[in-house]
Amino acid sequence: MISNLAVAVLNGIVWGLIMALIALGLNMIFGLLHIINMAHGALFMLGAVVAWYLIELTGNFWIALIIAPLCVGIIGLMIERGLIRTIEDKPITTIICTFGVMLAIQHLVLIIFGGSPRRISPPVAYRFQIFDLQYPLMRIMIALISIAMMIGLWIFLRKTKYGLWMRAVVQDREMAVGLGIPVNKVYMWTFVLGSALAAFSGILAAPIISVEFMMGREVLIMAFIIVIVGGMGNLEGSVIAAIMISLIQGIGSLFVAPSIATVFALAFMILVLMFRPQGLFGE
Amino acid sequence: MFLQKGKSLGFILIFVLILLVLIVLPFFVDLFYQTFLTELFVWILFAISFDLIFGYTGLLSFGQALFFGLGSYTVTILMRQFGFNTELSLLLSIVIPMIFAWFVGYFSVKLTGIHFVIITIIFAIIGNIIGDTWTSFTGGSDGLTFSPRPFRLGLFQINLMDIKGNYYFVLGVVAISYLFLRRMVQSPLGKVFISIRENEERAKLIGYNAQRYKLIAFIIAGGLSGLAGGLYSLTLKYAAASYLHWSVSGHAVVYTVVGGMGTLIGPAIGAGIVMSLEHYLINYLQATDLVVGIALVFMVLVAPKGLVGLIQSKLKRKEASV
Amino acid sequence: MSETFGTILKLVDLNKAFGGLLAVNKVNLSVQKGELRALIGPNGAGKTTLLNLITGTLRTSGGQIFFKEKEITHLHSYQISHRGIARTMQITSLFSGLTVFENIWAAVQSRKKFFNPFIQALKWQDVKEKTESMLELTGLKDQAQLICSELSYGEQRILEMGIALSTEPDLLCLDEPTAGLNSQESMVLVKKMRNMLSGQTIILVEHDMGVVMELADNISVLHYGAILAEGPPDEIKENEEVKKVYLGSEHA
Repeated sequence: MISNLAVAVLNGIVWGLIMALIALGLNMIFGLLHIINMAHGALFMLGAVVAWYLIELTGNFWIALIIAPLCVGIIGLMIERGLIRTIEDKPITTIICTFGVMLAIQHLVLIIFGGSPRRISPPVAYRFQIFDLQYPLMRIMIALISIAMMIGLWIFLRKTKYGLWMRAVVQDREMAVGLGIPVNKVYMWTFVLGSALAAFSGILAAPIISVEFMMGREVLIMAFIIVIVGGMGNLEGSVIAAIMISLIQGIGSLFVAPSIATVFALAFMILVLMFRPQGLFGE
Repeated sequence: MFLQKGKSLGFILIFVLILLVLIVLPFFVDLFYQTFLTELFVWILFAISFDLIFGYTGLLSFGQALFFGLGSYTVTILMRQFGFNTELSLLLSIVIPMIFAWFVGYFSVKLTGIHFVIITIIFAIIGNIIGDTWTSFTGGSDGLTFSPRPFRLGLFQINLMDIKGNYYFVLGVVAISYLFLRRMVQSPLGKVFISIRENEERAKLIGYNAQRYKLIAFIIAGGLSGLAGGLYSLTLKYAAASYLHWSVSGHAVVYTVVGGMGTLIGPAIGAGIVMSLEHYLINYLQATDLVVGIALVFMVLVAPKGLVGLIQSKLKRKEASV
Repeated sequence: MSETFGTILKLVDLNKAFGGLLAVNKVNLSVQKGELRALIGPNGAGKTTLLNLITGTLRTSGGQIFFKEKEITHLHSYQISHRGIARTMQITSLFSGLTVFENIWAAVQSRKKFFNPFIQALKWQDVKEKTESMLELTGLKDQAQLICSELSYGEQRILEMGIALSTEPDLLCLDEPTAGLNSQESMVLVKKMRNMLSGQTIILVEHDMGVVMELADNISVLHYGAILAEGPPDEIKENEEVKKVYLGSEHA
C-alpha cells in the first residue's frame, strides 16, 4: 500500500511538473498578456509530434528536446504576427480564432502523422527500487529537467532586460511605451516563449503518454484551469496549482476510479472559480 | 415603421418559400440525402439555440454539448428503458436539460469572459466523464440504440421509423422552434438580452438585473439544445456519450461565427454551408476539420459578422449610394 | 434620525477602501430635493468613486447611504436604478453596436415589470411614444437610425444623458458631462442639458469651473476622499483652503 502511495505521489509530482511548464507558457500568454490561446494544447501536441519526427531522423531524444520547441516557437511567432496582431482586442474574437487554429493544426497533424498513437521510447530505461516497486529513472529525469527549465525561466524573467520589459508591459502598457520599450516585440517574444514552453512540456510528456493528434485537447483545459486556480499572472501560483491538482488526481485515483477523481478535481475547480475567481494565490 | 412592416412581410414570404421547397424536396432526392438534411435541421436548431446565448446575450459557452447530450439520452433512455411514448420523451428532452441548465447557469452567469467559458467547459467535461463511466446507464462509448414509437398528437401521427416521416417531423419541430426564437429575440425580452450583450454595466445601471436575464437566456438555450439532442436521437435511433464532449459545442460556435452571430438566420446558413462542405470534402479529404478551422480563422479576420454580416453591409452600401 | 424636509440623498460616514488606500474618507453629505449639487476636487479626490458608491457599482467599506429616507447602502445597481437614481459616466458608456433609437428604447423599456417574450417589442405603444419624445428632447430625432458609434462625441454625450433621463430618475448623477469638449461645445451641451432637465435633483461632478459656477446651487469640495468645504458658489469661490488646493491650480 505504501509503495502504491509512493508511486502515486511521485507520478503526481512528475506529471504536475510537466503540467506546470505548459501552464507557465499559458500563464505568460494568457495571464500576463490576456490573450486567450485555445491552440495552446495543439502546440503541446505539436512539440511531441515534431520531436517524434526528429527522433526518427536522428535517433536522439535530447536533440529533439532542444530543436522541436524552437520549431514550434516559430509557429507561435506566425500565429502571433499573422493572426493575433490583426484581430481586435476582444477576448471572444481571439477565443474563436485560436479555436480555429487548434482545429486546423490538429487535423493537419491527423493527415500527416496519422490517427494512431505512437510511442517515444525514453532515452534512459533504468528503473530503480522504491520499497518493493520499480520506478523509472526517466520520470525522475523529466521532473529534474522540468525544474531546471523553471529555474531558467525564473532567472530569465528576473535577471534579464527582457524579463524586466515583460513585467513593465504587464504592469502598465502605456507607460512601457513611454519608456521606449518595444511593446509589440515584447508581446511577440512572450507568445513565442509560451509556445515553446508548451512544446517542451509536450516532449517531456511523450515518453509517459503516447503521441497522437488529440493529446492536446484535455491538456488545454487543464492548463487553463491551473492558470486560473493559481492566479492569472502569478507564475509561482501556476506551479503550485499544477502540482496540487496533479497530486489530488493521482492520489485520488488510488481510492476511487480515476474518472471520479477527475470529477472531484473539476468540482473543486468550479468552487475556486466561484468563490475566488482571482485564483488561490492571485490578488 | 413602414420599414418594419416591409421586413415582416419579406420574412414571412421567404420563410414560407423555403419551407415549401423543403417540404417538396423528399420527392426529388434519395433517402441518404433526406437523412443528411434531417441531421442538418437538428444542427440548425442547436446552432440557433447557441446564437440565443452567444449572438444575442453575449455568453460564449462551450458547454452546450452537455444539454444536447442530456436531451439525447433523455429520449433514448425513457423510450428504451421505461417505455415512455415519443411525445412525453421529447417534451422531457426539453425540460430535463432546462433543469440542468438552471443549475449550471446559476453558477456560471456569475462569471464573465474566459472564466465563463472555462466553467461551462468544466461542467461539460464532468457530464462527459459521467456519461463515459456510468456505462450501465448510458452505454458508455458504445451508446444505446432503440426504436422510437410513432409521434401522436390527437388524431395526427407520424412514423419515425420511416425516413421521410422522420424528415417531416424534424423539419416541423425545427421550423416551429425557429419561429419561437425569432419572436423571442424581437420581443422586449430579446431587447434585454441584446442590451446586456452590448454593455452589461450600462444595462445594470438602467435597471436590468443582468444575472437574472443571462440565466433565463441560458436556460432557454439549454432547453432547445436538449430538444436538438432529442431529435438527433430520434433520427439516428441512437445515443452515445461522445455527444456530451465539449467539442460538439464547437460545432455550434463554428456555424454561428461563419453564418453571422446575432441573426438567427446566420447560424442556420452557417450550419448548411459548413455541413455541406464537410459532407462534400469527406469524399476527397480525411480531414474536414482542417478546412473548418481555416474557414473559422478566415471568417474572424475578414468577416467577423459572418456571411450574413457581409451581405448586410453590401446592402447598406447600395442603400447609401442611392 | 430626523431628516430635514426635502433631503433626498444622505451619505453618512461613507468609506471606501481599496486595499490600504482610503478613496472615500468618512464622507457626510446631504442633498436637498431639486438641488443642483456640484462635486469638485482635484483628480483622484474620489469623486467618481463616490458616484460609484451611490449608484451601487461599488460596495462600501463602511457608512450608509439613504435615498428618499430609505437605506440603499447594500443594494445592487439595478435595484438602485429602480429606486430613482440614474447616472452618466465619465467615459461614454452606450450600447455601442445599437442605434440611437434602440439605446433610448432600452432605457425606456427598463421601467416595465415584465418582458413578454411572445410579442414584438415595437408593439409597446407607450414605450415607443416615450422613446420618440425623448429623441425629440435630446434633439437626436434625425440621427435615430444611426449606430451610436457614428455620432459625434458631443452627440454621444447627449445620448448618454438621454439614456439616463429615460429611466425617469429623481436623482441624476452626471460624471464630467463636458469631459473632452472645448468651451464652446461645453456651452452648447449645458444649454441642451438645461432644456432636457425638469426638476430632477442633480449631482454634478465637473472640472469646468465655468459650468459649475453657472449651474450649481451648492458646491461640495472633495480632497483626498474627504469633504474639504461645502457651500454656495460665492462662498466656495472665496474659501482660502479651497483656492489653495484646487481653484488656484485648475481655474483657467
